Amino acid sequence: MEGISSFIDFVTSRTDAITEATLEHLSYVVSVFIVGTAIAVSIGILVRNRPFAREVALGIASVMLTIPSLGLFVMLIPVVGIGFWPPFIGLTIYSLLPIMRNTVAGLNSVDQAVLESARGMGLGGRQRLLKIELPMAWPVIITGVRISVLLISGIAAIATLVGGGGLGRFINTGLGRLGLPGSMESVWTGTLLIIVIALIIDSIFLVIRRATTSPGLR
Amino acid sequence: MTAPGAFVSADPTARRTVMEGLRARIELIVTPLFFLILVAAVGAVWVYGDFDSTASRIINWPTMQRRIIEHINVTFWSTVLVVSIAIPLGIFITRPNFKRFAPPILGLANAGQAAPAFGLLILFAGFFGTGTTTAILALLVVALLPVLRNTMVGLQQVDQAVIEAGRGMGLSKRQALTRIELPLAVPIILAGVRIALVINVGTAALVGLIGAGGIGEAIISALQLRRDTAAFIAAGIVAALALLIDFVAALAERYLRPKGI
Amino acid sequence: MTETDALIRLEKVEKTYPGSEIPAVAELDLEVLRGEILVLVGPSGCGKSTTLRLINRMIEPTKGRIYFEGEDVTDVDPDQLRRKIGYVIQQIGLFPHRTIAENIATVPGLVGWDRDRIASRVDELLEVIGMDPSVFRGRYPKELSGGQAQRVGVARALAADPDVLLMDEPFGAVDPIARDRLQNEFLRLQEELQKTIVFVTHDIDEAIKMGDRIAILQEQSVIAQHDTPEAILAGPASKFVEDFLGAGATLKGLNLLRVREVEVDDIPTVTAPTSREDVRRVLESSESDWVLYLDEKRVPTRWLDRRAVDGPEALHQGGKEVLVTVEPEDTLRDALEKMLHSTVGVGCCVDPHGAYLGVIKLETLMTLIADLQRVERDKQAAASA
Repeated sequence: MEGISSFIDFVTSRTDAITEATLEHLSYVVSVFIVGTAIAVSIGILVRNRPFAREVALGIASVMLTIPSLGLFVMLIPVVGIGFWPPFIGLTIYSLLPIMRNTVAGLNSVDQAVLESARGMGLGGRQRLLKIELPMAWPVIITGVRISVLLISGIAAIATLVGGGGLGRFINTGLGRLGLPGSMESVWTGTLLIIVIALIIDSIFLVIRRATTSPGLR
Repeated sequence: MTAPGAFVSADPTARRTVMEGLRARIELIVTPLFFLILVAAVGAVWVYGDFDSTASRIINWPTMQRRIIEHINVTFWSTVLVVSIAIPLGIFITRPNFKRFAPPILGLANAGQAAPAFGLLILFAGFFGTGTTTAILALLVVALLPVLRNTMVGLQQVDQAVIEAGRGMGLSKRQALTRIELPLAVPIILAGVRIALVINVGTAALVGLIGAGGIGEAIISALQLRRDTAAFIAAGIVAALALLIDFVAALAERYLRPKGI
Repeated sequence: MTETDALIRLEKVEKTYPGSEIPAVAELDLEVLRGEILVLVGPSGCGKSTTLRLINRMIEPTKGRIYFEGEDVTDVDPDQLRRKIGYVIQQIGLFPHRTIAENIATVPGLVGWDRDRIASRVDELLEVIGMDPSVFRGRYPKELSGGQAQRVGVARALAADPDVLLMDEPFGAVDPIARDRLQNEFLRLQEELQKTIVFVTHDIDEAIKMGDRIAILQEQSVIAQHDTPEAILAGPASKFVEDFLGAGATLKGLNLLRVREVEVDDIPTVTAPTSREDVRRVLESSESDWVLYLDEKRVPTRWLDRRAVDGPEALHQGGKEVLVTVEPEDTLRDALEKMLHSTVGVGCCVDPHGAYLGVIKLETLMTLIADLQRVERDKQAAASA
């Protein structure tokens, strides 16, 4: 149990550094969430009725996920330098598939009778999208965003390897001091905090989903 | 570093709709396309780039070859281990007697997704020391839960009615398993293998950090020595390798399916 | 321009789908008169739904013009057009993520009514369709039964007070008993509202019951006959029409007569609260073996005979349950069908609240049928002479 107490000592003596790294990590999560969702939902809306474009978009997003994250981040360095940008762009690319896929699936699962009656009542295309299709697809879309954010949070651990900071710092520091005291504590700090963040994000999204889904759809 | 296969339904009894056919075909085109683009880009940079002695030490062909082999080696062995553990385990847990263990294990699998591979890798190194063996173990743990989940979900979707019919015809439990469920499970297993491969290729890019070599080692060295071009090349190679392996796995998934499924 | 009676006019309207040589709707001329219910009826695939949807341009015609209130609306903005036309489809299509009130309020909101006006209109319509606003305003579609959802669909279509309603098999998705009730309610509603309605159905009986005029459509929506139900039944224009009317035009005649037009008899009744003594007395003083027991609201609930009165059970639980009720708007055919389910050979006629009005005896119907058959025979004899 001295392991635990040394861990607690480690954490309590580094609250500033931990806070900073956590904020860095969260800045990735939040910024990628905003940008990735905006891009993926927009593309999803655009391609939902065009089978070929849809499959190409989903196919490309899917293939991007096969590329190892370290590889993708490093390949972006010549373009945007090291630091925040390679992880940000790489993570945004990774975030696209789950959201896009759920956006398309959600929008296409809307009951045809509802759309027919909406059109018959004089609701135009844009109004149908905003008032009917998106609200009805919303639970599915939000689930996709949640999956995406969890994914991103985990991968963001290696942002530090390209100079991008984040909670991976602690893992990296621990790596550099492997065998020396304080090394494992550092690695645990980074790892556990990332897990905690993921769990918190998961809960937040469950709450958001509940709160924003119409009672008629639950 | 995650597998697209994880998001694709591996339901073997789902009717292959036109859309799924289209999607599979497009994936089989996009992947090699990207692969070729990467190879071309990396090749061009390699051939026409300027490398000083430091950089050349990292990305000369013999060294890179060794890295690639190390990478494939680690990927291969951990995939073999993952598949031989996760798939029988998945089958086991979906047996009627043990179904009650399924939800908590599935829950664990979902929660386990939250743990960063990087963290797990270094933790393992801390406990078991550096080197290839540790790397393989760590990769095993990282890929285990996704493949397990895919197997369980896939098997649960196998048509219960088909099994009922088989048992009704007088097949014993074992016969039902081997003659109906397993053949129907082949696509799920193939999908699981593909997921494992893709996850492992990605995670293996990090094992250079714990002395297990691989292309990632070249990337990290190049980064530390600030040889960005060399880093780019190595990164491009690992990406190309991942695409190649995924492509081959996709072909296997497609053509090794039992006919009629 | 002279004021015409035709609210809607399709002039040489045709619809051919791309890639097809044969038009789905072939050069159609159709007029819908103000205030009438025009029923488009025909076999599956004849194009009746397509024709309906040409009117509100859910499907665009490949040829021809569409006139609405005298104006050519073939090229106007379809969304604007549709906000002036009520549209009801078989699967209803209520917005599941919106409350009943929000569903009904859709078109008034689109055309810019103010909030108060919309709210009172919603309540008004809910009352009209017999659903308590305070209860149903805030409910969601998934909480409604099939019949209720159908009613809300109609209310939603009427919300902005359009002059025209288009209905595509609106009562098709509910069970026959609910369908009858919906049809009757709708006819009562129409008496008050006097809308112009185009109604599509594949059921000739529904067409005869609901329509002021009927257009029987053949393939490609070619009009086989376009006239009042009486005229069509009296003189089918072609073999197709005859076949479509089906064997037994006599029975179709039963479709034209409503319960309220037929001799309604009275039988002995007792109204709660009452005593066994009273019931016995009524039974003795009448020739009938049965007396009809009405509850406090005068709704017929049980048939009581001597045995039931003397028996152990309470009056409101004894005897036979009243299973079958008919309403004044029911056609005699509806009534006959319902009475076939009854064990007592008599159908109770009730008002919209379910209160007793009288009874229809099976003998009355049988006599009527015999009369109609005689008329038919005479007609055929005269035709072949």
